[in-house]
Amino acid sequence: MSFVHLHVHSQYSFLDGASPLDRLLEKAQALGMSALALTDHNRLTGAIRFYRKATALGIKPIIGAEVDVEGDHHLTLLCKDTHGYSSLCRLLTEAHLSNRGREPQATREMLRKFRTGLVALSGCSRGEVPVLVRRGKIEEAVRAVCFYRDVYGDDFFIELISHPSQQCISNSYWLAQFARQQLVPVVATNNVHYADREDYAVKELLNAIGRNIPVDQIKDRRTTEQYLKSSEEMACLFRDLPDALAATGEIASRCNLELELGKPRFPRFDIPAGETEYGLLSRLAYERVLAKYGSLTPDIRQRIEYELDTINRLGFCGYFLVVWDIVRWARERGIRCQARGSAADSLVVYLLDISIVDPIAHDLLFERFMHPLRRELPDIDLDIDRKRREEVRDYIAQKYGTDNVACVATINTYMARGAIRDVGKALQVPQEIIEEACSGIHYLSASQFREHAASLPELKKSTIYKRTELDSFFKLCAVIDGFPKHLSVHLGGLLIGGGRLSDLVPLEWSSGGDIISQYDKDDIEQLGLVKMYVLSLPTLTVLEDTLADIRKNHGVSIDLDNIPGDDPAAFAMLRDGKAIGTFQLESPAQREMAGRLLPDRFEDIIVSISLVRPGPLKSNMDKIYLPRRHGKESVTYLHPKLKNALEETLGVILYQEQVLKVAHDLAGMSYAEADGFRRAMTHDRTTEEMEKMRGSFITGAVRNDVSEDIASQVFEQLAAFAAYGFCKAHAVAYAIIACQTLWLKCHYPAEFFAAVLSNQPMGYYPPRVLVAEARRSGVKILPPDVNHSDDCYTVEDGAIRVSLKQLRGMSEDALGSILSARMRGSFISLRDFVLRTNVSQPTMENLARVGAFDSLCGREELQSQLLILSGLRQKTGRGTMSLFEDTQPEPVHTMEAANDNRKERMLAERELLSLSITAHPLDYVLLDAGITRMKDLYKSETGKRVEIVGSVIRYQTPPTRNGNRVVYVIMEDGTGVADVTVFGDVQEKCGHVLFREGWLRVTGKVQRRGPKALSIIADNLYPLSLEPADSDGPQPEFHLNSVGSCN
Amino acid sequence: MARLIGEPVETHTDRDEIPDAFIWRKRLYRVVEVLSCWQESVDWWNEKPPRFFVRVNARNTSYGTYELCRLGDGWFLHRVLD
Repeated sequence: MSFVHLHVHSQYSFLDGASPLDRLLEKAQALGMSALALTDHNRLTGAIRFYRKATALGIKPIIGAEVDVEGDHHLTLLCKDTHGYSSLCRLLTEAHLSNRGREPQATREMLRKFRTGLVALSGCSRGEVPVLVRRGKIEEAVRAVCFYRDVYGDDFFIELISHPSQQCISNSYWLAQFARQQLVPVVATNNVHYADREDYAVKELLNAIGRNIPVDQIKDRRTTEQYLKSSEEMACLFRDLPDALAATGEIASRCNLELELGKPRFPRFDIPAGETEYGLLSRLAYERVLAKYGSLTPDIRQRIEYELDTINRLGFCGYFLVVWDIVRWARERGIRCQARGSAADSLVVYLLDISIVDPIAHDLLFERFMHPLRRELPDIDLDIDRKRREEVRDYIAQKYGTDNVACVATINTYMARGAIRDVGKALQVPQEIIEEACSGIHYLSASQFREHAASLPELKKSTIYKRTELDSFFKLCAVIDGFPKHLSVHLGGLLIGGGRLSDLVPLEWSSGGDIISQYDKDDIEQLGLVKMYVLSLPTLTVLEDTLADIRKNHGVSIDLDNIPGDDPAAFAMLRDGKAIGTFQLESPAQREMAGRLLPDRFEDIIVSISLVRPGPLKSNMDKIYLPRRHGKESVTYLHPKLKNALEETLGVILYQEQVLKVAHDLAGMSYAEADGFRRAMTHDRTTEEMEKMRGSFITGAVRNDVSEDIASQVFEQLAAFAAYGFCKAHAVAYAIIACQTLWLKCHYPAEFFAAVLSNQPMGYYPPRVLVAEARRSGVKILPPDVNHSDDCYTVEDGAIRVSLKQLRGMSEDALGSILSARMRGSFISLRDFVLRTNVSQPTMENLARVGAFDSLCGREELQSQLLILSGLRQKTGRGTMSLFEDTQPEPVHTMEAANDNRKERMLAERELLSLSITAHPLDYVLLDAGITRMKDLYKSETGKRVEIVGSVIRYQTPPTRNGNRVVYVIMEDGTGVADVTVFGDVQEKCGHVLFREGWLRVTGKVQRRGPKALSIIADNLYPLSLEPADSDGPQPEFHLNSVGSCN
Repeated sequence: MARLIGEPVETHTDRDEIPDAFIWRKRLYRVVEVLSCWQESVDWWNEKPPRFFVRVNARNTSYGTYELCRLGDGWFLHRVLD
């Protein structure tokens, strides 16, 4: 074998490698190299994709890593076989996990412990042997060589890197001499950090970012030679050392790792003696049939047997038992927990109580979840009460072993904002330029943001992206687009190994203290590891909290499984657009859909959740479905054979499960084949592949007495649908939770909103909008009070008391001291509060300003009281004296606090609580007569021109049918919420106003898309600022001043 | 040992633009062997290209090892290696 690069860093060396895998492999292929190693720093994150890509190109992949070893040295390790791979995984895991909060480091003991199947090269200039030889410490170098030879035997090589440079004149010469004296074989490498020489600047830039220093402070290793050199270039560099060149081929021929990708690897579940996994699973499923269905009918038995047989044949029995055990454990402890996604298509999953969705009642197909023809491994996703998710995670780790459980990692990569910030910092670009360049850029790729800046109305007027002196800066930002920055925890993804996970997956700490895999979810899937998602769903916490409060306040225990699915009052509320706070139904699009669909039954919620998605809306499914739903158009089918599949959705394809049914009923496919057909259509496919699928579908249909023309039309519908279809099982699972929140909001609004507010952040709206909605639902909002407020929102006589946690600057310590002091008795005076708590003076002032002491003393007394009492605390040494020693109260602020008027109070609430309790700012603005309040919008006729004023809740830019961007602005004015649509022409006109926080005046026309679905089509947006008026009168006022306009 | 020189030299280069002779302090040095060539990064963020170095064995009255550096259109004798 000719020369092989055995020391190569990719971008997965995280800020030390300047080339993606594809670039390295393409270059290696162009150079005619038959093998290539990947040796990123301390990680195998790129290894699996490298293995696959290299194999596909016919290049032999050699997996390895450059490992940090004790003494701040490097060592290059390469896997010879699966034993070597396992050794490296375990070595990296131990090097990382034993150094929590520090850089990973392998000790000599670790090297000795995990040595099997590895080839070791002495490393770059930071290798132990090169460093000692360079320093002339020959005796120590000899001892080091003895150690490495003792550990790796004939698989230890002295690594020679020839980067001719001013600094490095003869290092490799002396190292080679030393190797000869010690009879250690040498090997030539180039310590590659980029594919082409031109990329040296990117490497230096990344190094500067990684080390958090300006790029001009990089003094060391400033070579441009670390590129993937050709065999000829390497031969020239090592012309005096042919054995070092020959060793590369020799080592490559020793490395013959074959990873078994795609082979499923399941966690093991301990079963009672004498029982099999299948037997136990079967018994558990049948045990629950009577409770669920009353009797075991032949149909149910057949379905259970079919599912169990499939699960067993695919080897999934243990996996199902693992998930069953987790859910059982959680439920026994009162932790709300249930499956989401396609797992709810399974009857066995339902019978095991993993899911709350009855697949028989909802006519769900098991094959959508799993079948023998499916290539991807199915996984079961669990939603868990957010507050108690950690308990479940701890249980899993304790049950299956901490070295056998890890979170799935996600690779955080550079996008525009991150690139601008990091590159700007490294290049010492002035901060104001960085800020200006970042403003208005959201979720744009680093390589395309300048193109977008030229076309997006809100960025068009900015000149910063056109400044020629910043050209090279922006180009460098584009170069690092998509480069990995760091690993973090993938939301909820969990791995359970079959014994010891680190045999297969190297593990490390996340910054948050979780143990994570070094592979992301795609590579985990390639390895065949079955992952599960243990996701925290705050809505489940809201359900639990609401039920607990209802029990406490009303003495009623509610079983959410038995509330009516079509409660008239709850559905009336939904039809009126009053869904803010509910699960899945609160977004503007869903509220609008409720006004068009006019739901009155559970099935409508399933439809609504499935319909309000970019795909169906882009395909006009709503326009076909809704007239049929309201009886304005008749339900028709292209062919009578479609009725069975599409009757439930009035002839419209809405669910993925329906694709399976159509392909089965019309084209005679089995459900498993039909799912394969659906999956194939979902992915990117070539015209030839599409034609092949069309051919097989039409042939099947014609054989089934369907005309070719009809079959072709149906195929087109399926093809168009496949890209956006929604899994019905998932929609049902979420519709159940949505209905539960709707019912609770309708019948117990105080308890429901208190729970929603206590569990922020969650949902679509900020607390100020939720508080306003609660008030509109008839619930009184009480201000925070040191004697009554808790660390969450609570219900007092039907009213909601604001939590002390909502106060800006309230620390956990301060809150804890208030609550623990109150356990010994309520505060009887301000003096009592000061002496018994550890609350700092600024926080006390904030408490005073929002009225939290109002129950203790009049506000006019607060100023003097606080001053005197803070002095008292100093004298007595009680409370947090130190907090007061250096802090003098600020009379101006406390004067404001003591100034008892609604306007000041309202301002304090906005500033310190981000809420409007006493009043809304617009209550103090004398609005023009022409302005329509949001509560009155519904009275306006379609097409009427209106003018509204309010604060922005959020902006949305969902995908559209024709690809043109539409901006939706959701606003509130204290009386209600309005949904404003801004089309392209108005975006052009008002670009600088878009995505601006704060207050807006909007003019536009009322549009009605359904009986109760209303929005405003904007024709102009004006930014406003809220400023106090100079008023001597008794009623202070504000002005809303224009701060610019469109034209 | 190496001595930093940093003086401009007049060079004659071959087809690959590698010096085959140079004049330093009015003496002619003929390049006998090119030992290595390399580039080193300089302030690329100020749009400066990398510097090109060549290490040669050259002969005047005796053999010596010299490092030459190309800067713009001219060459400098960067170091003399003993």
